[in-house]
Amino acid sequence: MGKGKPFLEVLSSAIHEDYRFPFLEVFAFLYALGTFVFASFGVTITAQGATNEAIAYDVVSSTLSIPLFIFIILVFKNIAHGLGSDLEKGIIQTYFSYPLRRRGILTAKLLSALGVALLLFLGIQISALYILAPDIILPQLGTVLLTYAASLSYPLLIAGIMLLLTLKLRRGGISLVVGLVLYFAMSMVSGIATIFAIYTENPVSLQIISAISPSLVLQQYYGGMLGDFWAPAFSEVLLYTGVSYVIVAFIFFLGYIYFSRRLNL
Amino acid sequence: MSLIVAEGLAKSYGRVVAVDSLNLKLDEGSVTGLIGPNGAGKTTTIKMILGLLKPDRGVVKVFGQNPWDNTAIRSMIGVVYEKAFFPSHQKTLDYLQRVCRIFGVPESRAMEVLELVNLQEASDRDIRALSAGMLQKFAIAHALIHKPKLIVADEMTANLDPQARSELLDLVLQLHRDEKVTFLLSSHILPELSRVCDSVAIINRGKVWAFGKLSELYEKYAVGIIRVSTDSSYALEAEIRKLKYVKGLESDIRGISVRVADGKEDKLYEDVPKLAKKIKAKILGIETGSASMQELYRLAISTKERK
Repeated sequence: MGKGKPFLEVLSSAIHEDYRFPFLEVFAFLYALGTFVFASFGVTITAQGATNEAIAYDVVSSTLSIPLFIFIILVFKNIAHGLGSDLEKGIIQTYFSYPLRRRGILTAKLLSALGVALLLFLGIQISALYILAPDIILPQLGTVLLTYAASLSYPLLIAGIMLLLTLKLRRGGISLVVGLVLYFAMSMVSGIATIFAIYTENPVSLQIISAISPSLVLQQYYGGMLGDFWAPAFSEVLLYTGVSYVIVAFIFFLGYIYFSRRLNL
Repeated sequence: MSLIVAEGLAKSYGRVVAVDSLNLKLDEGSVTGLIGPNGAGKTTTIKMILGLLKPDRGVVKVFGQNPWDNTAIRSMIGVVYEKAFFPSHQKTLDYLQRVCRIFGVPESRAMEVLELVNLQEASDRDIRALSAGMLQKFAIAHALIHKPKLIVADEMTANLDPQARSELLDLVLQLHRDEKVTFLLSSHILPELSRVCDSVAIINRGKVWAFGKLSELYEKYAVGIIRVSTDSSYALEAEIRKLKYVKGLESDIRGISVRVADGKEDKLYEDVPKLAKKIKAKILGIETGSASMQELYRLAISTKERK
């Protein structure tokens, strides 16, 4: 018996299920629509920005909002509905009869759920930005990538938490609700923390939030909307972004450990 | 050679003990039936054998190895679950070809196994469009793709009509005879197991209550069976149960099957009419006979319970 390619086949099967017609088409359209419409809008708004870096940040962040929300919906759907229903119905059990380690199966499912969604999101976003504002984007590629990294960290953290919940509960419905609550709760918590920080002139609450949602520190770095009491250096931006990804990696690591060593079906 | 060895297996779900100190040994080339009532621990046992559940205690070895997350033994095992689930938006043939690639066998094998289970006409159907019976046949085709040495099937005939069941059991016999495939089949439909199994493990309350070759079990539990036909089975059963030399019994609406201690058959022939008279039951007949698989199962259970 020759050696097959179980990982690629399980990945391809997962992609086939997660992005079956019309999901891929609809989400690609929504990404493109959101990106192009808001990119044009963003460029006109930020034309008077001070530095090139700040302009690049403004352009990227203004194009991000709608597509990022679409990305979150797609990832949440894939984890809650894709992985959750695979666990609930027994498809994972079927995958466990193939000569592929458990971690390989989870990697295939996550690459489909997160990796493809991320590729779609970044592919359309960066192409659009390149088409619409090449003179801003190309020289400031570092800023562009940092803005994406900072903005994606919190959604990825929620995705990780949803993964843990889905594995523990072996169904996706509750984890989808928790994911959406966490996503919207962050705006509320950020707002409260900002008011608290302004009132006390102490940035600790914002720094704590930045450790899980570094877009806040990045916004402060480029925008400085909160006054002088918190003027983070660029190294701080990198630090918070790095810490947030360490937390994300830890949550996914827990998911892998649970799936590989503890998940009883 | 033993393909499956389970020693002292135990698994609980919270306070519910599903499997408790279970021992089982499955020899190569056998067709072993795992029989027991609902909740006896059959599925939990099978899941531990397949490495889907970690036992709380005990050891299970499949092909001499721990089955948990073990890719090597998956290439040697075919699995059929009671409820089969596959990625539903793919076509049957396409999916089986994918499974061929996973196991590294030629894609032509996909059509072969579909033909083997008589499902070739559904080769271009979406998996979700298959009926429950067809889906079960598809699951069996799926399990056969890589020509496994061992097939573990949990209630594989549960969703099939009688004809499909019969065809499937023929297939089990054929694979066992021609391909030397070893089977572990769990089922609560006892007559069909008696058709294909050469060994049986009777599971109840998470333990193996009786295990061995069918012929040995019949000798142990079903020799000395006396059938009493009466118009009042359940009342008479209660009286017969009180007799000290009765080792096991089971009853249904038509009569009672009684297993007695060696040499006590004549005594039962004497006592039954007296007991019937006492409770005003009518005896329609008393005869010594051999037991069906169902009777064997019930007698084994009741014999253990009386101990």
